[in-house]
Amino acid sequence: MTLRWKYSRPLLAILVALLFSAPFLGSNPLSHPGLQQTMAVAFLYGALALTYDLLFGYTGLLSFGHALFFASGMYFAVLFINHDVLVWWLAAIAAVALSTILAILIGSASLRTGGITFAMVTLAFAEAGHVVISRNFGGLTNGENGIALNADKVPQIFIGVFNTKYLFWIALATLVFVYLVIWWLTESSAGRVFAALRDNETRVSVLGLKPSRFKLLSFVIAASLASFIGVVMLMVSGSAAPRFASSDVTISLLLMVILGGAITRWGAVIGGIIYSVATTRLQDFSQSTALHSIPQIIRGPISEPTFTLGLIFIFVVMFAPGGLSGAYYALRLKVISRK
Amino acid sequence: MDTFLLIGITGIGLGALYFLVASGLSLIYGLMGVLNFAHGSFLTVGAFFGLWFSTQVVHVSNTWTFIGAMLIGGVSAGLFALLVERVVITKLYERHIDQALVTVGIALVVGAVLAGWFGNDLRLLPTPPWFINTVNIGSAHIPVDRFLYIAVAVILLISNIALLRFTRIGLIIRAGVENRRMVTALGINVRLAFSTVFFLGGFAAGVGGVLVSAYSNGVSPLIAGTYLIYGFIVVVIGGMGSVPGSFLAAMIIGVIKQYANYYSPGLGDFVVVFLLAGVLLVRPQGLLGKVKA
Repeated sequence: MTLRWKYSRPLLAILVALLFSAPFLGSNPLSHPGLQQTMAVAFLYGALALTYDLLFGYTGLLSFGHALFFASGMYFAVLFINHDVLVWWLAAIAAVALSTILAILIGSASLRTGGITFAMVTLAFAEAGHVVISRNFGGLTNGENGIALNADKVPQIFIGVFNTKYLFWIALATLVFVYLVIWWLTESSAGRVFAALRDNETRVSVLGLKPSRFKLLSFVIAASLASFIGVVMLMVSGSAAPRFASSDVTISLLLMVILGGAITRWGAVIGGIIYSVATTRLQDFSQSTALHSIPQIIRGPISEPTFTLGLIFIFVVMFAPGGLSGAYYALRLKVISRK
Repeated sequence: MDTFLLIGITGIGLGALYFLVASGLSLIYGLMGVLNFAHGSFLTVGAFFGLWFSTQVVHVSNTWTFIGAMLIGGVSAGLFALLVERVVITKLYERHIDQALVTVGIALVVGAVLAGWFGNDLRLLPTPPWFINTVNIGSAHIPVDRFLYIAVAVILLISNIALLRFTRIGLIIRAGVENRRMVTALGINVRLAFSTVFFLGGFAAGVGGVLVSAYSNGVSPLIAGTYLIYGFIVVVIGGMGSVPGSFLAAMIIGVIKQYANYYSPGLGDFVVVFLLAGVLLVRPQGLLGKVKA
């Protein structure tokens, strides 16, 4: 018995097609550059959350260093492009390749540990990366200010408010691409081993498979996809900044996956999109005049997006571990069993 | 030579601050298997209560005020830790990943509440007048506050070891770190040990919070960030569940970080992470950690 609704796939395809054509369909919310930009960023966070779901949800590796690869893709690309080392599309490929090598090195060191120690070790590596970037170590990263992408060195269709719709498409295409890769991967035989590692590692090694190799495979694939998303984020946001490397990014990825629901693919994507839009909207909300009548002792915390999101997160972890997609499947189960 | 000594002692002082954070993390992890991301918020809560005491309750900044601020900071953070343990952590008994996740949520909420109330700007913490004095060792002028951090860390280390060695609850905690299932099976109430460890860990972090604020010249919701991460690194290098291991690792890391940063600013964090990777490759259980059966 499957819990999937039989029309879900065709509907998803229609939804994606609608989103792709939205900037053309006359006057609608998505024909405005402002929302296109917001949604482009949200799609990319959805894709990034999905790569984190591969790592944390499917393979059971609680990494706190995922943001490092997102940022490394971004920074390698901006450095290659701005310093005229490579033409932009070659720079993108090189950035992903270098990030993959970085992931192999860091992955093989930190995967010697497991469980919670692994979380701490990956956190330490990512923090070192964040320090290198934010302290301008080696004089390449321009410290806290980040590096603006040199607009003359990328195709003109990526530049300017009028061209935001192309960035919107690229972000949506990236999300679809990452979704398809992870779909294919998690349904492949390697994906079955990932799931088996999460559920019972001893059993995998008894079956004669090497757990460390498959863990590294999952870690490296998630990292190189994240670095690719980082390159696209560089195009969309127009600059590389140290905040993309901070452990706060990884923690928000964790929030996205938990809120949306792990191990369902679409849960992570929805979680990422909602979280990304919510942080932007909650910030606007905190500046609104409606809040002025509330006493400061309550208004202060409410005006911080992390307060609301943190409370929801605690609630979900404690009382609704499946997140959004878990709630949906529980509802489906009820509907099906009533028939 | 003077600079060498100055940097070395500053490094040990910094290591002492790391130890205050790491000792609680290590015991909590060793006993309960909880990776406590909320530990940074214990530190911040302690720092704010210390600030409240030394600015709102008393208005003179002398030695006693500072000692009072440390105690108030420690006790308030300890009670807050106890609250977190009772209300949230125990509800997720044996769900280790969820426990770690929920502490991430607590850290976010506490950070947001404090930022909403007090803003993210540094608020000056009054320190006793002698804080700016220096002690001359040979021809080196060492700021006196470094010795205070070291002294507090040593006192906490000794009292921690004494508690663990010579009291019944200490015995239960040590046995629990070694094999919690067996302790439970013998009919001993480990929940009291859990609460003790959380209170003590919170206390050390709260005292650490006041000292960190003194070291960085002020209190803000953001002061805990790097100390928590260094706390994690210290715990991994020192060995999970080993308080003396944390002490040793904290000192080594503090000193190495200071020397590396002197050589080239920013190099310190990098060297520490390589040290971490090296220790994991050679001794995955950490310096003084035991391999769990």
